[in-house]
Amino acid sequence: MSAVRSKSWTVRVRERAVEALPPEKLLADKQPTYVSSWIYVFGVLSIASLVVIIASGCILALKGPGWWHFTGVGRFFNSIHLWAVELFFFVMVVHLWGKYWMAAWRGGRVRVWVTGAVTFLVAVPCALTGYVSQQNFDAQWISTQAKDAMNSVGIGAFFNLTNFGQMYSYHILLLPLAVVGLVVAHVLLVRKHGVVPPFRLEDVKRATTAERPTDLPPQESHA
Amino acid sequence: MAAIFNLDHPAHTVHWHFFSMSVSNVIVIVLMLIVFVLAIALPFPKHDVGGHSS
Repeated sequence: MSAVRSKSWTVRVRERAVEALPPEKLLADKQPTYVSSWIYVFGVLSIASLVVIIASGCILALKGPGWWHFTGVGRFFNSIHLWAVELFFFVMVVHLWGKYWMAAWRGGRVRVWVTGAVTFLVAVPCALTGYVSQQNFDAQWISTQAKDAMNSVGIGAFFNLTNFGQMYSYHILLLPLAVVGLVVAHVLLVRKHGVVPPFRLEDVKRATTAERPTDLPPQESHA
Repeated sequence: MAAIFNLDHPAHTVHWHFFSMSVSNVIVIVLMLIVFVLAIALPFPKHDVGGHSS
């Protein structure tokens, strides 16, 4: 970081970005040994599923409902899109469980945890709006049933499930944009703070003894 | 899938006191639990390429 801040905002942004995430941290070629566990694989599996979802969704958007309902190749990509979403939620839930039991918010990683949790919450309506964007009787049935849920909590005027245009826009633009943006922020924060280490054995032992101090020192952030 | 499984009927559900959930959802949750336990229990393949730091 330079001692005197530049007047150019591009230079300031660049300096702050490099300061927060130097290249060797942004694109690290080494990971700590504790990452050698299958439980650490589910984050990247979630991203891989998301890539397939976005790619198959783009193809479906290009071709349209006549193609995805009535041609063999269209039905194939429709199924790829559906099952990639199923896989996405499957591996994301396992990832969430793993990080919850690791208390992955330790060591100044609260923002990592929060962006991950919010991604999950935003991904749910992102997927559900897909059910009402199919353009078939199934979508009509789901939308007329689900609108009652929206109305019962008072948001039916803002989130109208029988409004196809609104639901389709949410499904293919607004919510995917939010999910991808949150995932990018989540990954950058993981790169910045490092993968959360396992609990230290001495902390576990101390926590199970009677003379446990009330204010434990904060865990060191992984470098 | 519809040719393999007959889907032309209401979903089967699991009822237990207040708990009510479709069988398909129960199967997915059980599978997630199995995968979670296996991910912790199974050893991760090791390779000596010097790519790990302490």
